[in-house]
Order: sequence, then structure tokens, then C-alpha cells
Amino acid sequence: MIRGFRMEVALALLRVSLLTAMQYRASFMAEILVGGLSAFGVAAPLFLVYARVSELQGWTLDQALLVTGFFLLYNAFVAGLIEPNLGAIVDGVRSGALDYLLIRPVDAQLLLSVRRVAPVAIWELVAGLIVVAVSLGRLGEPSVAAVALAALLFGCGLAATYGLWLMVICTSFWFVRVDNLRFLLGAVSDAGRWPVSVYGRGIRIALTTVIPVALVSSYPAMALLGRLDFSLVGGAVATAVAMLVASRMVLMRALRSYSSASS
Amino acid sequence: MIQVRGLTKTYRVPVRPPGLGGALRSLFSREFREVKAVRDLSFSIQPGERVGFLGPNGAGKTTTLKMLSGLLYPTSGELSVAGHVPQSRAPAFLQQITLVMGQKQQLLWDLPARESFELNRAMYGVERAAFRSTLDELVAMLRAEALLDKPVRNLSLGERMKCELIAALVHRPQVLFLDEPTIGLDVEMQVQVRQFVAEHNRETGATVLLTSHYMQDIAALTPRLLIIDQGTLRYDGSLDELSRRVAPERRIVVQQVLPELAGLGFAVTEGRMVATVPAAEANALIQRLLTLAPLVEFGVEVPPLEEVIARVFAEGRA
Ligand SMILES: Nc1ncnc2c1ncn2[C@@H]1O[C@H](COP(=O)(O)OP(=O)(O)O)[C@@H](O)[C@H]1O
Ligand SMILES: [Mg+2]
Repeated sequence: MIRGFRMEVALALLRVSLLTAMQYRASFMAEILVGGLSAFGVAAPLFLVYARVSELQGWTLDQALLVTGFFLLYNAFVAGLIEPNLGAIVDGVRSGALDYLLIRPVDAQLLLSVRRVAPVAIWELVAGLIVVAVSLGRLGEPSVAAVALAALLFGCGLAATYGLWLMVICTSFWFVRVDNLRFLLGAVSDAGRWPVSVYGRGIRIALTTVIPVALVSSYPAMALLGRLDFSLVGGAVATAVAMLVASRMVLMRALRSYSSASS
Repeated sequence: MIQVRGLTKTYRVPVRPPGLGGALRSLFSREFREVKAVRDLSFSIQPGERVGFLGPNGAGKTTTLKMLSGLLYPTSGELSVAGHVPQSRAPAFLQQITLVMGQKQQLLWDLPARESFELNRAMYGVERAAFRSTLDELVAMLRAEALLDKPVRNLSLGERMKCELIAALVHRPQVLFLDEPTIGLDVEMQVQVRQFVAEHNRETGATVLLTSHYMQDIAALTPRLLIIDQGTLRYDGSLDELSRRVAPERRIVVQQVLPELAGLGFAVTEGRMVATVPAAEANALIQRLLTLAPLVEFGVEVPPLEEVIARVFAEGRA
């Protein structure tokens, strides 16, 4: 089904998107600076809350920090890859600029998904790794099985997130204006920075299935803390696969009805 | 190489009533207006042919090229290009074609054109050695050596078009769809692009379908002409044939004013004498002219191309 995928193409695309980002050195530097500040600022609210309480719904500060760490890693992925690429699809539909992508003998989904990177996301990646490492350092080393489970859940969560975004973006082929939907999605995803158990049951379910942000933050943290077992894996994999397959179908459908802008 | 039968494309354009109320209403019931961009088009093109696709703005040229290159689904009709159905966009098909749109660009705006070529090389899976020799060849033909390492945004329109052409050809396509490749270029650049397309066609034997609304492009480049207007094919044949058919008269122009020629039907215009007669009678008139004034300097003119084509459109619309 995925035709014409070649590693060479993915690397060539990454190369030009990095080169492009570095063309504007001043704004590149400014972005990197701001990105660094905001990445490390993500943990601030947590310290404010835990200055008053020592435990929140069964989570200590160190444990909650683990959730924040995964949330940062997830954000790095969204801001670095998903947002710039899938966001560009909307503009492409409006301006007809997808024409030159769709005549390539390469899978359209690949081209649409990795042709841009936002280097600023590197900070969230770094911050996320540091936060996870620090909190693990204080909590004690997890078992190999726990790490594997966490990685698996996180991976599934990223895949599901990508699928969800792609489906939202694809509506732009029919309705052309979806910016608001994108912001809504971003705002809701923000809920992932808190341990999922602070929310009520309904929201909790929504955050694991409809907008699977808990899958990338709380669940990997719980796995590392030894609070989950492998029984969850089936569901997580199923969610990820379902999102990927559904989003691919929606994309193919959308490309069919893409009528490039006039001229 | 290209077969088109009964090709039709109808765009559905949402109608938005004006104002906020209208915008709200259109959220619930969307009305569509149909734009018939291409209607029942049929033609076929042999391998290696150069064909010009001529028509006024909005005639449906771009829409047709987009369907031929697989970007748009036809509303109805049958299409075959290089043995494939374009809209399936099979990699084997896309490998064989290219599309250049004068009003859009594929080059990466912020980077030197060389980076775009390299990206296309990877996407089309061209071997590095073959890529280098193709690139050298194209660069030499277009005299573009100096352009490859400047950011595309610093190139002039004409220089950019040269690079667009190179980017579009690094995979050595068999079929070239060129949509207004000379649009907006100065005369000198137009000539260079035309020469390049002709030379490339001679060297590679690739099939070329070129749209334009510049007559010179067609006259200089494409022995065969398709004229389209309001989505309908009006003419398919050579330029000469077209002039004979649509403009059956000749204009005989004498470069000086000789009052005695008035009797033969000549009239004075701008210090010359001109007579317009049916093509079949041109020879007889010339004989009579030469008996009357043996040493006179004269020429025979076919009405200008613009006029001929304007007549094709007028006929079709009447
Ligand atoms: N994406 C589109 N949506 C709706 N109408 C379109 C679209 N593209 C072109 N049209 C309409 O289709 C007709 C043919 O357009 P086009 O093929 O671009 O003509 P040309 O290239 O000969 O100038 C025009 O009336 C144009 O307004
Ligand atoms: Mg056009």
C-alpha cells in the first residue's frame, strides 16, 4: 500500500528542510533561544502546585515530573514534525502548491509528513530527556520490562497522535479552513501535561482514546513506575493501528478530491 | 503516447452568499455552481510529437494538462498517457512524465537550485552518475552554470524558469507537459526557452505538449496545433493547414503607390497598395499585376496568426 518509500527520500527531505530552517540565521537563533526558555518553563506550574500539596491524586512531585517529561518529548514531536508538515498541507490545499508533490513517484503521505522539520523542537526533546532522567534518578531505576512497556506505549501514542492530526488536517480538502480546529487540538493536548488521574472519568477516557495524549504522557510514566502491566499493550497498539489506517484512508480519499487551485 | 477520448471536467465551486448571514447559511446548506472547464475533448498524440495547445485564458488548457499528468480526476472520458491511466498516479507513470507550470514553482525558494535538483534526484531514484551527466547536459543547453548555487529567491524570473526546466527534466521523462513555460518572460528569454524545448525534443525524442497564449511559442515550436476555447476543441492540425482553411485569402502588397493599379482592385494604405483576394485567384492577379507593371516590387501575405485564430474562435462561438 505504501508505495515508493525510500530512506534516501526521507533523508533528502530532512536535509532540505534543515537547510531551509538555517537560511534565516537570526530568526533561527531567536527561535532556539525562546524555545529553550519555554521548554524548561513547562515544568513551572507543577512546582507551584506541589509547593502547596505533597501529593496529587496519588502522584508525588517526582512522579508527576515524569509525566511532564514525557509530555515534553511528545511536544517535541508535535512541534518539530507534525505541526509544520501537516500545517503546510492546509496552505498547500489553499494555494494549489501540492501539485508538485503529487506528481512525484513517491508515496504522497511520506512527502507530506516529513518535508519540514522545526529545529526549535530540539529544546523540548532535550528538556524532556533531562526531566525524565532527573525524576527517574530520584525515583530509582525502572526494570527493563517497564522501560520496554513505556517505550511501546509512547510509540503507539505518537502514532495515534499523528493519525489524529492527519485526519483533522484532511478536512481542509473539503472545507479549506481548519486553522481553528488545529488550535483546539493543540489546546486539548495540553491536558497531557498533568497525570491523567487528576481528571474525571469521562475526560480520562477521551484523553486515552479520542485525543490520545494520555497515551504519550501518563501511561508511559505509569509504566516506568510499575503501575501498569502488559495487558494494556493490546489496546494501545490497536488504537495506534486504527488511527494510522483510518488516517491513511482519509488522506487518500482527500487527495482524490483535491482540485488544485486555479491557474 | 497520449490518447484522450471524450474528456470532460466539471468543477463544483461552492457558492457563498455575501455577508455574515450568507456565510452562516452556507455552513448548513452548501450550494454549488458547476464550471464546465473541459467538454468532450478528444485527440491523440504520437511519441516524439511536439504539440501546441492554444487558447485564451480560461479555455481549459491547464485543467487538461492537470488531468493528463494525474493531478485531477476527470469527470468523465478516457485517458491514456504512456500506457497508463494518469489519475491512478502509478509510480511507473509518474517516472515518465513531467509537468512545468509557468505560474507555479517547484524549486525550493530559500535554497540554491542545486538542492532542488538533488531532492528530485532522490525522489525519482536516479543514479548519481546518470544524474550528473543529465544535469551537465541540461545546464549546458540552457547556459545555466552560474545559476545553480544562488538561492532561488535571488534569481530573475527567466533564470528561475531555466532552473525550473532543469528540475523538471533530471529524471529524463518521456512526456513533457509544459503549461505556459514562457509566461512573463522577456522576449530574449522566451526565445531561449523555445530553443531549449526544441533542442531537448530533438535530442531525447520526448513527446511535448505545450500550452501558451503566445502565438510565437506555437509558431516557432510546435508543428501541430490544438486550439481550445471554452473547454471545446476547435482545431487540430498544422498551422499552415489552419491558415489555408480559415484564411483562404491572400494579401498582395505593392511597396509603392501606382494609381493605375486601382483598376485591379488595389487600394492605398500607408503609402503602399494592397489587394485582398481569395487564395485561388492570387496567381491570376499577380500575372495581371506583372503585365501592367513588370518591375514592381510586391509581396504576398497570409493574414497574421492572431487574426486567423480569432476567426477560429469567432466561428466556434457563433
Ligand atoms: N480549481 C478550480 N476550481 C474551480 N474552477 C476552476 C478551477 N481551476 C480552473 N477553473 C475554471 O475552469 C476554467 C478553465 O480554467 P483553466 O484550465 O485554468 O484555463 P486555462 O489554463 O486555459 O487558462 C476556467 O473557467 C476556470 O475559472
Ligand atoms: Mg492556464
